[in-house]
Amino acid sequence: MATLDVDRPMSAEEKKVIFASSLGTVFEWYDFYLYGSLAAIIAKQFFSGLDEGSAFIFALLAFAAGFIVRPFGAIFFGRLGDMIGRKYTFLVTILIMGLSTFVVGVLPNYASIGVAAPVILICLRLLQGLALGGEYGGAATYVAEHAPHDKRGAYTSWIQTTATLGLFLSLMVILGTRTAIGEEAFADWGWRVPFIVSIALLAVSVYIRLSMNESPAFAKMKAEGKTSKAPLTESFGQWKNLKIVILALIGLTAGQAVVWYSGQFYALFFLTQALKVDGATANILVAVSLLIGTPFFIVFGSLSDKIGRKPIIMLGCLLAVLTYFPVFEALTKAANPDLYAAQQASKVVVTSDVNECSFQFNPTGTVKFTSSCDIAKQVLASSSVSYENVAGPAGAPATIKIGEVEIASYSSKGLPADEAKAKSAEFKKAVAEALKAAGYPAKADPAKVDKVKITIILTYLVILVTMVYGPIAAMLVEMFPTKIRYTSMSLPYHIGNGWFGGLLPTTAFAIVAQTGNMYNGLWYPIIIAGMTFVIGMIFVKETKDVDIYAED
Amino acid sequence: MLKIFIGFVIFAGLAMFVIMQGGDSLDMGGEKHGADAVHAPAEAASVAASAASADASAAK
Repeated sequence: MATLDVDRPMSAEEKKVIFASSLGTVFEWYDFYLYGSLAAIIAKQFFSGLDEGSAFIFALLAFAAGFIVRPFGAIFFGRLGDMIGRKYTFLVTILIMGLSTFVVGVLPNYASIGVAAPVILICLRLLQGLALGGEYGGAATYVAEHAPHDKRGAYTSWIQTTATLGLFLSLMVILGTRTAIGEEAFADWGWRVPFIVSIALLAVSVYIRLSMNESPAFAKMKAEGKTSKAPLTESFGQWKNLKIVILALIGLTAGQAVVWYSGQFYALFFLTQALKVDGATANILVAVSLLIGTPFFIVFGSLSDKIGRKPIIMLGCLLAVLTYFPVFEALTKAANPDLYAAQQASKVVVTSDVNECSFQFNPTGTVKFTSSCDIAKQVLASSSVSYENVAGPAGAPATIKIGEVEIASYSSKGLPADEAKAKSAEFKKAVAEALKAAGYPAKADPAKVDKVKITIILTYLVILVTMVYGPIAAMLVEMFPTKIRYTSMSLPYHIGNGWFGGLLPTTAFAIVAQTGNMYNGLWYPIIIAGMTFVIGMIFVKETKDVDIYAED
Repeated sequence: MLKIFIGFVIFAGLAMFVIMQGGDSLDMGGEKHGADAVHAPAEAASVAASAASADASAAK
């Protein structure tokens, strides 16, 4: 057990520990991005033959795989990790992860085996979700328990860099395969290659992890017969520890998650969907900022060993709260100045019966918003139009007024598919023409996209991510005693990132559609990060000097 | 540390090459959930897209 610090370089054994642990989280991210990048192809291969009712159920299950199952995995594998050991538990999680990913690559599609194909696919996704829930906590705990006392921040921060590595690795494998075999073959069978390739990652990970020793702190505890017999009860059944779990969630990981999702995923979404920057340019700019920002995970992880975890994480949250509005506004001016000018110059008003307007929160994607008010707002929000809401007469269809042009919206409820499509096209065309006349650009003008300024802004957002995410693993590890560490830290991490972070895009869109201002989606991360800042500053204690073995 | 730095620079260069080659056919938006994960092309693109297209798909 590394307890006393000596100012020495990292040993070969410690490097191996970090590498072995990080490889598993690379896997996690590789898989995460594969499913994102290949979603359209996978949907076509496995779900396209389903009727509407079945598709609805599978959509709910796919949602569950991402949001519900991971915290259960955190509890399930966390408990195992605290009872039988870190090494064997995160060996099991990576095996489940890797084998499930591989099997997706060889799974027959809907055309071959019918409904069994999506059923098996969803089962594999659920298994992956379970394994993911146990992976991060194991990796962080394992590395931290091997690290010298005053280098836990630096050592665990390497795990935090794997998100970028996993992203780029998945893109390289996907694009490499596409280029090698061509688009048609890729859509037909080549998409399987990135999944099958994961078996190589798995083999290397398992080989290395098998050669590793158990965490010294856990091995000592086990030898002395002091391991927890009931980690779940001790973690969540006793207020003394449960309150720290709750604080870790609302005073740390919730804020960290929304800052992370805002800086990486929402920024990209905002660039392409709100500011209408073309996808290729947006991808490049986001990638450059991620690559510039990645070393800062190590910088802030190491810095947290010197000045503390709490100041860095809290400063990251505070800066997010204070700067998101001006920063995203600056992003608009840099990426699509014509849109910014149109928003300032043109007044758009939606008049509607307030009783037929919904808060369009749709995390599963299965709810259909069909009222004239909802449709009017969807179309305007998707066009990045800032609009004012005015209460109209009860029962009257909503209208959109752009300058002097007034357009009546429609309700699609109960309409036959063809008629609904025709009305949708007609309505969108009318709105688009009126917006064009009012100066709203359909797309960002490439000649006016200030790439340098956008890169600087995106890099700033990524650096905020590194501030909150770089030291978080060390801090979570240090908040809990060895015998229930794996269980206790995994749950707040996955609820924070899965729920608070994962719900950001859909919540932000619902707020934007509701209020008529494309920046108002930022209220979600601002409020959550603000909550974390206040609660964290008041209730969360600094942990860098904590002796994590004190209660062993 | 120098070896890691050099390795990272090479990796970054390779990654940028791939992304520039990929153009807008690459989706860096992360994992898809719910209906986004089971609906093919048009609706899979984004949350906004799926929300905005809800009217069109309402009567499917």
